Amino acid sequence: MKGFFATVFLWFPLLFFAYSVNAETCLVCHSAMTGKVRTEKGPFIELNIDETRFSKSVHGGMDCTMCHKTYTNNPHGSPAGEVSKNISGLANLISHKVKTDPLAYASCVECHEDIYKSLSESIHGKNIMEKKEKDGPLCLDCHGSPHYIMPVSSEESLVNKWKVVSTCGGCHEKKDLAEKYKFGLHIIEKYNESFHGKKHKLGHSGAPTCVDCHGAHAIKKWDDPASPVSWEKRTETCGKCHKGANKKFVAAITHKPVGKDNPIPFYGEKGLIILTAATLIFVIMHVALEIYADIRDNVFRKKEEPHD
Amino acid sequence: MTNESPLEYQRFNLTLRIQHVILMVTFLLLAFTGWSLKYPETALEHAGWWIRMWGGPKTAGQIHRIAGVTMVLDFLWHCIYIAYALLTGKMKFHPSTTIVPLPKDIMDAVQNINYFIGLGKTKPKFGKFNYIQKFDYWAPFWGMAIIGLSGLVLAFPTKAAVLFPQWSVNWIWELLFVLHSDEALLAITYVFIMHFYSEHLKWKNFPMSMTWITGKIPVEEMKHEHPIEYELEFGKNKGEDK
Repeated sequence: MKGFFATVFLWFPLLFFAYSVNAETCLVCHSAMTGKVRTEKGPFIELNIDETRFSKSVHGGMDCTMCHKTYTNNPHGSPAGEVSKNISGLANLISHKVKTDPLAYASCVECHEDIYKSLSESIHGKNIMEKKEKDGPLCLDCHGSPHYIMPVSSEESLVNKWKVVSTCGGCHEKKDLAEKYKFGLHIIEKYNESFHGKKHKLGHSGAPTCVDCHGAHAIKKWDDPASPVSWEKRTETCGKCHKGANKKFVAAITHKPVGKDNPIPFYGEKGLIILTAATLIFVIMHVALEIYADIRDNVFRKKEEPHD
Repeated sequence: MTNESPLEYQRFNLTLRIQHVILMVTFLLLAFTGWSLKYPETALEHAGWWIRMWGGPKTAGQIHRIAGVTMVLDFLWHCIYIAYALLTGKMKFHPSTTIVPLPKDIMDAVQNINYFIGLGKTKPKFGKFNYIQKFDYWAPFWGMAIIGLSGLVLAFPTKAAVLFPQWSVNWIWELLFVLHSDEALLAITYVFIMHFYSEHLKWKNFPMSMTWITGKIPVEEMKHEHPIEYELEFGKNKGEDK
């Protein structure tokens, strides 16, 4: 509360002298307000904006109305900004998924037009914009709240190198989505078991994550010839790190679980487990028996070691 | 009966001792740096400080590769050395001194375990290498061949891929990943149980057998542990003296 009064007290005089709709103006109230409010269409929206986090974010220098161009049914006077056709068109395409304010959501396109274009051609974007499904990511599903988007190099960013695998896993480990869209549920698990995934987990900055091979906004299904991991392009993609990668080399990574359809590694691993277990059982029993016999001979028998 | 047998018997020459020390050092380095890659799930807990101790994942990887190549070279040196010694007659095959597993070893194992559990009254008589020592030799021998080869493939995957036949590419990578790490796990657990017990924890060897440094074994111990070899070495001399 102190903060609230202080902010109001500090900014109140300024508002008199230089009234303009910039972020500071909105934040006078919204940095102090807490709680959620119900919107016209149903969903609740968060009223609070963390001023510190917002100002540190990549969009910290922007004014609120650059995205929140219009709003209705609220205590504010709606800004009379023009909404370009680009934005309103996109807002229509995503309005079945974005319930709260599709116009504000679509405003990303104003600055990030190229990204929106590649997204709309990607498997994720097509699912939303063409098939009118609600599944699949738009900007904020991967980047988090638009108010706090951090640069990709920041560890706070959800698409940062060290977080992006779990961000992708947020959907790609979901059983219902895997069934609906027929993708493998073991993709993340198999990545984590691979040398790439293991090195990544150990903090090796050279190890690739999902996006290094599959691309990000323009992501395609792996068997789409336009995908960087399609058989047509895979040698080139792997070759970015593995110079001289050829067709036989790029077969190494599939993210497919090893099953009975691939009998040599499948039964090979089973055989190795049996070999390891059998050896260890023999070794542990041998050592235990030898300890027992040693103690018996040295403590209880105390005589020359018998030989024939 | 004035025959004076020496107090100690030279069991391993300097070359073999150096080969063993290189093997030991590279084995430990490989195990320590490879362990965190086998179990990175715990990277935020114990493997976190563990991998940092080895200079982080990149440096640990370099240590692993250098140690691996050194071990392979040591292995090749050993093979060439033994082959040379056999060919020139400096080393001769004899059933009592050979490291090659023979049917007798199976009988020895059965007899020894019977003795442990009290079913037999006598211990078997061993030659220069008892069946556990033969196991101790051939386990890493096979391990080095498998882990060394798969490791070379994993270290130089694009070059190795050229050598793979087309029909193998759908399974060979998965197989090599599994072979390298599971064989290594077997080698590590084997060494830390069997070899540590035999050469460090065993009643007569605690805290460790000095043979790996001096190459020598006390003749008294040889009489008990390797009686057949003892008779071969000293029994004959006794006969000549008379």
